[in-house]
Amino acid sequence: MRLGGVSLRRVAALLMAGVLATGCGGGGGTDSAGDSGGEKTLTLWHYYGPPDSATGGALVRLVERYEREHPGVDVQPRHIPFGDFTRTLLQSAAGGELPDIALINAFHTQAMVEAGIIQELDDKVAAWGKKDGFFPASWQTTQVGGKTYGLPHLADAYALYYNTDLLDEAGVEPPKTWDEVAATAKKLATGERQGLAVSGIEGDEGATGLIIRILAAGGDVAKVNTPQATKALTQFKEMVDSGAMSKGILGWNEEDVKNQFANERTAMMINSATYVSTLRTEKPDLKWKVALLPKDAQNPTLLGAENLTITSGSKNPDAAWDLMTWMQRPEVLAEYLPDRNKLPARSDVPPGEDEARAVFQEQLKSAWVPEGPLAASASEVFTHLQGALQAAISGSANVGDALTQAQQKIDQALAG
Amino acid sequence: MALLLGKRSAAAAGGTPRPRRQVPISTYLFVLPAVVFVTVTVLYPLVYNIGVSFRDVGVREIVAGGGDFVGFDNYLSRFARPEFGRALAISVIYTVLCVALSFGGGLAMAVFLNRRFPGRNLMRSVLLVAWVLPSVVSANIWRWMLDGTYGLVNTALGALGLLERDVFWLVEPTTALVAVVLATTWTMAPFAMILLLAGLQNIPDSLYEAARIDGANTWQRFTRITVPLLRPVSMTVLMLLFVTVFKTFDTIYLMTRGGPGGATTILPIHAYLEAFQFFRFGTGAAETTVMLLIPLLLSVFYFRSLRKEELS
Repeated sequence: MRLGGVSLRRVAALLMAGVLATGCGGGGGTDSAGDSGGEKTLTLWHYYGPPDSATGGALVRLVERYEREHPGVDVQPRHIPFGDFTRTLLQSAAGGELPDIALINAFHTQAMVEAGIIQELDDKVAAWGKKDGFFPASWQTTQVGGKTYGLPHLADAYALYYNTDLLDEAGVEPPKTWDEVAATAKKLATGERQGLAVSGIEGDEGATGLIIRILAAGGDVAKVNTPQATKALTQFKEMVDSGAMSKGILGWNEEDVKNQFANERTAMMINSATYVSTLRTEKPDLKWKVALLPKDAQNPTLLGAENLTITSGSKNPDAAWDLMTWMQRPEVLAEYLPDRNKLPARSDVPPGEDEARAVFQEQLKSAWVPEGPLAASASEVFTHLQGALQAAISGSANVGDALTQAQQKIDQALAG
Repeated sequence: MALLLGKRSAAAAGGTPRPRRQVPISTYLFVLPAVVFVTVTVLYPLVYNIGVSFRDVGVREIVAGGGDFVGFDNYLSRFARPEFGRALAISVIYTVLCVALSFGGGLAMAVFLNRRFPGRNLMRSVLLVAWVLPSVVSANIWRWMLDGTYGLVNTALGALGLLERDVFWLVEPTTALVAVVLATTWTMAPFAMILLLAGLQNIPDSLYEAARIDGANTWQRFTRITVPLLRPVSMTVLMLLFVTVFKTFDTIYLMTRGGPGGATTILPIHAYLEAFQFFRFGTGAAETTVMLLIPLLLSVFYFRSLRKEELS
């Protein structure tokens, strides 16, 4: 116990966080990596997955490649599960044990800046001079109060996956508008199978489908007692009522939705690019394609993204910056992204030959991210949107009341 | 453990008053490590948490310290929010149901396993597996079993012809609450069983024999001998069950994340979201403090009644 070096308050903050997270397991133990033999050691924390997983492994292979090209630099990636990631960072910041680089969820950038956990990078970015290659929506997520606090690492978009066999069997074309989605999904649905699946699970994750639908109607995610949001939620409810969509979506995360699609329990799904190669490996015989999101007034996707950030506790910020910019080189990304199953945050990376990934990359051009006050409270606002979806579909409130209640909570959240 | 303490203090209370003795100062040094340990690991964080609950602490203050003193504002803002009242109510319903079912089930199993029959010890051990199993495992198994499309429960009910179409157990508010209560009970009942079994084995067989000779039937023997003599153990078991269930987090978080629509959002989950999802540590701490008060009040009541019992 190094009470001498660390203030009692910091220790207490650590422990209190533990008290708050009753039974959540997994403490904030940090293995402080010491420099050895003149080698520069860089620590990198991420939530992609353990080294033996497909997603975590891709990142490990990426940093190993960097190590081979840069003798004398030792990069130590550490995986922390997504649910524990932010909490662990906050605890480690209070304990003065931050890594050099944190690969954070892009939507948490603002909170991390407020917490004083990550460094401003404007000077480094200006000297680097390659920020124009990033998609505007991706770059937007690194900006807090007009300053830059990270580099976009990669991006993810949502699009419409459809089972070509099932669509051919039913004699329907992949839908291009939301009206067509409703009609097509109903035609595709049988007793055993749904037409369309999206994740609607409790919490912010389950809001994605509704957000995409509201944006398509030209609505505002923070103002939902509007005709656009009403139209969006009404359509989702009608699709569940008609059997085109299952009530089960309220309990499914994106992985569950992928499993429904892989097992042909749904003919179409709205999901992220993450599952392109997972589907190919898990179900090589499944015949499917990807289409752009259906339109109403427009068809933007919600951006999924992570940002590379240098923490305030980094001992080697320059070495960290070198690694981060190396990771953004187009030729490095061209090899890494198919392995990692994601999309580039930059427009100068060749899309490659893959048809499905090309659709996602096209979809990414119309990506939407929360900005301003909404960015700070995105998780909470999205949680309330999922609440409205849940209330309307389960029938505990009608669409109007569900949206009015959600709006009250959203206003409270935005007021802080 | 409480039993042992109870017995010892009963012996002290019943015996002749001990003569006052001068204790040398150096003796206190022996308890110092324990005092330091408890202070650092239990008392300080507790006090810190209560301190945070009186300040306006966001993500900046939790790292750097500080935060304006706001008096009872955090508490008042909690009580002004209907979701908080709802979470508190769900917590109480959930806890009471789980405690009642775990205790009832545990008692039934204990009485059954107190008889002599072949394979008894094996069965005791097998039942304990439910309690020993990490909740990450058991909660996920429950989630899979109760899934609407591929879950075992629907398949089984469908095969028996009891179900016409898929039921999404964890998606309907009522069935979701029942499901998490059953999952928790499944884990906690064996724990109650093992403690109650220990209590049962302390009841001398001669009492039952005497009662049998006097013509008491099974039910009478249970209500007149087992229940009253098991009372002190029962109190302890109920208390332990209440405290454990009241602060449950993982089982519910893994099964429903507090959903659908907050139907299983008990206080610990609400507080967790407040602090670690929405980064409002001040109000989150206020919620955990309220969460702390309820079992605390109950344990005061418990120790009082325990003392009353010893005196009588």
